[in-house]
Amino acid sequence: MKPRRIPAVLATIGIALLVASPVVAQLKSPDDVKTALRLLVQVSNDFKRQITAKNFARIPHEYMEYTEAADALHSAIKGEPADFKAKVETRLKAAVEAAKKVSDMSANTPDADKLMAEHDKAVTAMNAVFELFPADLRPDPNAPPRRGAPKN
Amino acid sequence: MLNFTSDRMNVSGLHSAPLARRRLLFATLAPLSILLGCGRRPKSEQQVVDLYIESDGDFLAFRPDTLTCPTGALVRLKFHHAGKIISARHNWVLIYLGQLEALTKEALDDDGILPKDDPHVIAATPLCDKGETVTTQFIAPPPGDYPFLCSTHPEDMRGILHVTK
Repeated sequence: MKPRRIPAVLATIGIALLVASPVVAQLKSPDDVKTALRLLVQVSNDFKRQITAKNFARIPHEYMEYTEAADALHSAIKGEPADFKAKVETRLKAAVEAAKKVSDMSANTPDADKLMAEHDKAVTAMNAVFELFPADLRPDPNAPPRRGAPKN
Repeated sequence: MLNFTSDRMNVSGLHSAPLARRRLLFATLAPLSILLGCGRRPKSEQQVVDLYIESDGDFLAFRPDTLTCPTGALVRLKFHHAGKIISARHNWVLIYLGQLEALTKEALDDDGILPKDDPHVIAATPLCDKGETVTTQFIAPPPGDYPFLCSTHPEDMRGILHVTK
């Protein structure tokens, strides 16, 4: 290898490492992001539970909690680059709007099947937010809650 | 008249006092000390246990999710809602053995609001908002593993109170 090619090779390796490194290394508050994403899933699951139990009156409260979790994600990415923030906020706005639609429908159309179909759309919108973050920060929506719950 | 100066209360001072004075001092102080002693003695030997538990921040879990106390003890339990983000309300509800599923269903049906004298419930704190601390106290039931939960999240926030002999 010619000596003048060495800096170019090193630069290429450096760029490759930067691109390959997980976004988590670049996030300023990964723990806060992880918490906010987990809270979004937690509240989304509560939405689903209230629909299944036909506790329609409770759904607007779940929506309020969803917006609180969304606000927590806003705060967690406050110091991130503008283009990344813009991507997250666009998708997050869509997820919150989808959750609002479920909430509004619960008052006007208290039909569990229709609400569940709308909730599925909200989950898809929420998952689109998660895709912007590294896999190790994304919550597993199917993970059991952390507890030593007795059977009875 | 007795002069209660620091010298008189001193042990060496008592030894040097005349016999009549010593008797008078004893006669005055002895009944008083017996009365005071009786008043301070606890009426019973009941053990008192202080327990602390909190929510796992904003997540739907108790921390710790197991507690231990001896049977018959007076338990003073403090529950802290450690959430900072979500405005969900929580509480701590101790349930009789074998009543977990019945109470879970009741809590889900009634949005977590339990009647004051719920027959499934041994003890419960009031519901509280994030950052708040609430308490309850009860006599620990017979030995066994008693379930507890949060009535507003009865399927997620659960734990066990180990009552020992």
